Amino acid sequence: MADDFMKPRRKSGPIKLSTVGAWLVSLIFFLPIAWIIGSALKPKQYVLNFPPKWIFVPTLSNITEAISYGNTAKYFLDSVIYSFTAVALAILISFLAAYSFSRFKPAGTDFLMFLLLSSRFVPAAALVIPFFQLYNLVHLQDSFLGLILFYTMFSIPFSVWILKGFIDGVSTKFDETGFVYGASRLHVMFKLILPQLRPGLVAAFVFNIIFVWNEFLFNFQLGGIHSYGIPVGLFTSITKDGHLDWSFVASIGTIYVLPLAITIFAFQKYLLVGLTFGTVRGEV
Amino acid sequence: MSELAFKVSGLSKSYGSKVVLDDLSFSVNINDFSVIWGKPGNGKSVLVRSIMGLERIDAGEVIVRGEDVTNKNAGSRNIGYIPQSFALFPHYSVRENIEYPLNLIKASDADKEKAVNRVAELLRIEDLLHKKPTELSGGQKQRIAIARGLVITTDVYLLDDPLVGLDFKLRERLIDDLRRTQEELKVAFIYVTSDPLEALSLAKTVLVLSKGKIVQQGSLTDVYDNPQTVQSMSALGFPEPNFVPGKISNGTFTSDIFSAQVNAPDGISDAIAGIRPEGIVIGENAKAITLEATVALVENLGSENVIYLKVKDRMLVTVISRTDEENLKIVEEAKIKISILPHAIQLFRADSEVKIGEGKHHE
Repeated sequence: MADDFMKPRRKSGPIKLSTVGAWLVSLIFFLPIAWIIGSALKPKQYVLNFPPKWIFVPTLSNITEAISYGNTAKYFLDSVIYSFTAVALAILISFLAAYSFSRFKPAGTDFLMFLLLSSRFVPAAALVIPFFQLYNLVHLQDSFLGLILFYTMFSIPFSVWILKGFIDGVSTKFDETGFVYGASRLHVMFKLILPQLRPGLVAAFVFNIIFVWNEFLFNFQLGGIHSYGIPVGLFTSITKDGHLDWSFVASIGTIYVLPLAITIFAFQKYLLVGLTFGTVRGEV
Repeated sequence: MSELAFKVSGLSKSYGSKVVLDDLSFSVNINDFSVIWGKPGNGKSVLVRSIMGLERIDAGEVIVRGEDVTNKNAGSRNIGYIPQSFALFPHYSVRENIEYPLNLIKASDADKEKAVNRVAELLRIEDLLHKKPTELSGGQKQRIAIARGLVITTDVYLLDDPLVGLDFKLRERLIDDLRRTQEELKVAFIYVTSDPLEALSLAKTVLVLSKGKIVQQGSLTDVYDNPQTVQSMSALGFPEPNFVPGKISNGTFTSDIFSAQVNAPDGISDAIAGIRPEGIVIGENAKAITLEATVALVENLGSENVIYLKVKDRMLVTVISRTDEENLKIVEEAKIKISILPHAIQLFRADSEVKIGEGKHHE
């Protein structure tokens, strides 16, 4: 991604020094990930070699072993279920909120928007005990419903911010044109406005899925044996069999980054527009 | 003349202390092309939005085909609407855009097909139906927006300055299209614009909107020949009329560049004389008021030249034919004699801008 932002304006002629620099910086950022993937594919006996063994016959045995170990597959699946459900739900709710903020402009919209985001100013460590007690009280611990509710709430503020910017960028003429021809408000929202927000929806989705997918603390505290996700799974199985198995860690790490990598790669063309909050967007 | 299609009465709308529509009333007949002309800032778009039901009005009523729709929402007023900005849905194809109003009333596929083909033929956009709005030029987009407005069958259509921002040639063609369409459908077109040339070429009936009121309504020739206010005089034609301030006493209008015998009440110290470009002719004329002028600018419009004349410190504009060879000798910097035809002078009060009289024919 980084090199996409830094990509210089394309000019003919020899490759420029800045291009080379951008590639170098990008590679440095990519190095840890490359290292993890490399270690996962290395036969077990080479993983701790120093100096590192660069040339080897890659194997999938570490990865298949990691997947079949204990609850790994379940952790992974659980993570997929609760993160994707929660973020999708959050985006739906945020769209309704963002549309209202953008179109009805309730008194103090700016302040309300600020309040919404301020819920994310509080450090997670300060919230974890109150949430633990709350979840205890309402019996939502170790349940998918509990986690999905938490992560939905967790994802709403940024989603509302991102989507409001995009809805502001869609002229109210579209709403009015719909109304004049007899459309209902819901029809206008979902049939006329929502389809024009694709880059914003993608940005909100990717942005939040990265947060939720990587969230450890609340999954650990509010979840349980039935609802742990892959971050907790990775943490608890690091010292499996009483020792640190780097091949195992690297394998889980590789599986771990895969869903995000695929999601982001698939939506890359919208993401650039989305993350610049629509400023490079063309209007019809 | 014919059946009443549409009527508003006592329409008022204010934003805080700013009055935008001021007890405004007018009516429009079926099978008429009515142009509401107003300068920017005189309440045009608020009027359009009030008629369409997009804006809540403070007082007054809106009646379509005898039915009071004041409290009905936008969708149930059954007025064909062509918005100023095209507002074509980018995620729909051109055909889907045009079909859109029909989808909302759940028309059958056969009816949709028929209606879309009808308007596509009318506006000559058959080739564009499968495209996406993003692939179209500005003029094509506007034609699609017009088609979408015309696709529902009704008898009142409201066109909100639909040609603004389009290039000249395209506007000419669309003006043609719109006139033809209105004549074929024999329905009421209410066309809102700030362009005097558009008003002139489209209107059968002209309504002049000034400061939130309709200050004059009449046939095209009536408003052109007998403008009742300064705004009415500006409403039609191109270039804009000349307006010269002055005062009236003893039956004479006196300004810094000319004086003229007039039929108007005395003692008005702040008057305005309005003279259309064709009221100023080149050369001396015994029956007119002759002035010395310097040609400041000559604008070639093809068959005509627009001449900007400097008389003392004041600028006057006139139009002369380019087919007359004598006229081609009038070039910039030339010093010439011009004549103001007295009967072409319209007099208004400066404060209320209402007509108070006109120039007297010289004997």
